[in-house]
Amino acid sequence: MAKRLSGLQKEVLHLYRASVRVAHTKPKQNQPHFINYIREEFGKHKDLPKRDFTTIEHLLRVGNKRINLYSSPELKDIN
Amino acid sequence: MFKSVFRPCAAVAKNARMTLPVRNSILMPQMMVSPIRFYSATTDRNEITQRVVDVIKAFDRTNASADISSKTLFHKDLGLDSLDTVELLVAIEEDFDIQFPDKVADELKGVEDTVEWIANHPESE
Amino acid sequence: MMNSVLKRSVVNGLNLQRGLATATAVAPRLKNFKVYRWSPDEPSKKPYLQTFQVDLNECGPMVLDALLKIKNEQDATLTLRRSCREGICGSCAMNIGGRNTLACLCKIDQNESKDLKVYPLPHMYIVKDLVPDLTNFYQQYKSIQPYLQRKSYPEDGKEILQSVEDRKKLDGLYECILCACCSTSCPSYWWNQEQYLGPAVLLQAYRWLIDSRDQAAQTRKAMLQNTMSLYRCHTIMNCTRTCPKGLNPGLAIAEIKKELATD
Repeated sequence: MAKRLSGLQKEVLHLYRASVRVAHTKPKQNQPHFINYIREEFGKHKDLPKRDFTTIEHLLRVGNKRINLYSSPELKDIN
Repeated sequence: MFKSVFRPCAAVAKNARMTLPVRNSILMPQMMVSPIRFYSATTDRNEITQRVVDVIKAFDRTNASADISSKTLFHKDLGLDSLDTVELLVAIEEDFDIQFPDKVADELKGVEDTVEWIANHPESE
Repeated sequence: MMNSVLKRSVVNGLNLQRGLATATAVAPRLKNFKVYRWSPDEPSKKPYLQTFQVDLNECGPMVLDALLKIKNEQDATLTLRRSCREGICGSCAMNIGGRNTLACLCKIDQNESKDLKVYPLPHMYIVKDLVPDLTNFYQQYKSIQPYLQRKSYPEDGKEILQSVEDRKKLDGLYECILCACCSTSCPSYWWNQEQYLGPAVLLQAYRWLIDSRDQAAQTRKAMLQNTMSLYRCHTIMNCTRTCPKGLNPGLAIAEIKKELATD
């Protein structure tokens, strides 16, 4: 039986999905850079306790802002 | 839109079963609902499964790529965590030129679920 | 300071008593400043109040002076916005001793036995320490189209004239520096930040609404004619009470309501 996810956990997954989708709009050869960046950024907080709501909510806001910034079509690569 | 209609048709043509959508509708009258529904008729579940399996095989995070069937579960059988699963689903979206709504994607646990949803939502973009 | 006093008294052979008296007069007057700290670099570390001691004898009269002194001498990581240090830019808005105001216009209570607490503007997302995220606030300001809108311009290509009386209507409105002290003191704004425009932005909306040179009054009014943008104001009047520039956003909102009622 798969464990049920909390609303907040789902929001994190939605952010991750949105990020990966943005990565797929970038030039093919640069997409791995974006994917690695996304994995890195999410990985940084992998050990965050799932009850630490305020921190998670903060990070979600930061993430959503960054997506807005990075989805600009002029932005083609990332290092 | 055009792309999504074209792709499955091409896949069908490759299988040499039929080349023209019109002929297909004659052969399968029970599926003749609308031109859009009609696209699902041309892409049967086996074929969707095959394409999903191909995407999974090409995905770089799976650990058991050899044996994938329609019963395969992303987490249990492929060892994907929740984030990897998200990445895989987006890769599948790319291949089929569709987009799973967030709510649907949260519930997709394995190949079978995914194929089922794609088969039922030919028009989703 | 002490050194030179001592030296002089020795050289001049003056009595030491007097030199010591001068020395006790400049004994440090240490006051505790409790400042809100939070850093995005450690997002899981909870915000806390950090206490700094500042010698009031060595410090300028305003809270901003004290904060900059702390930043210069004690902890360079303390983060705050400031620019003009004279109440015209609105950058250093924060919650000082429980009241939203500009740090550069707020005198330090010279009673050093009392601690002074400094927080960022309340109910805002924090960027770091005393720096709030004003993105939504600015977005709302943008949404009221804060610029002159006209269909026609004077034929001679010169400025659009305005009578003395019409110009007078802008007094008490044009002085607003958008520091966000009023909006962030408003409970209605706290609970409905996404939809309610808040006193600062509504004061600006009124400023453009009554400008005799502007010709878009009808569309401006139409934009406010809904339950959320304007009518979440319940005349709590925290805005007017807190405004560091002595303006009256509450009155401006009431005037807009009147205009809309007689429409």
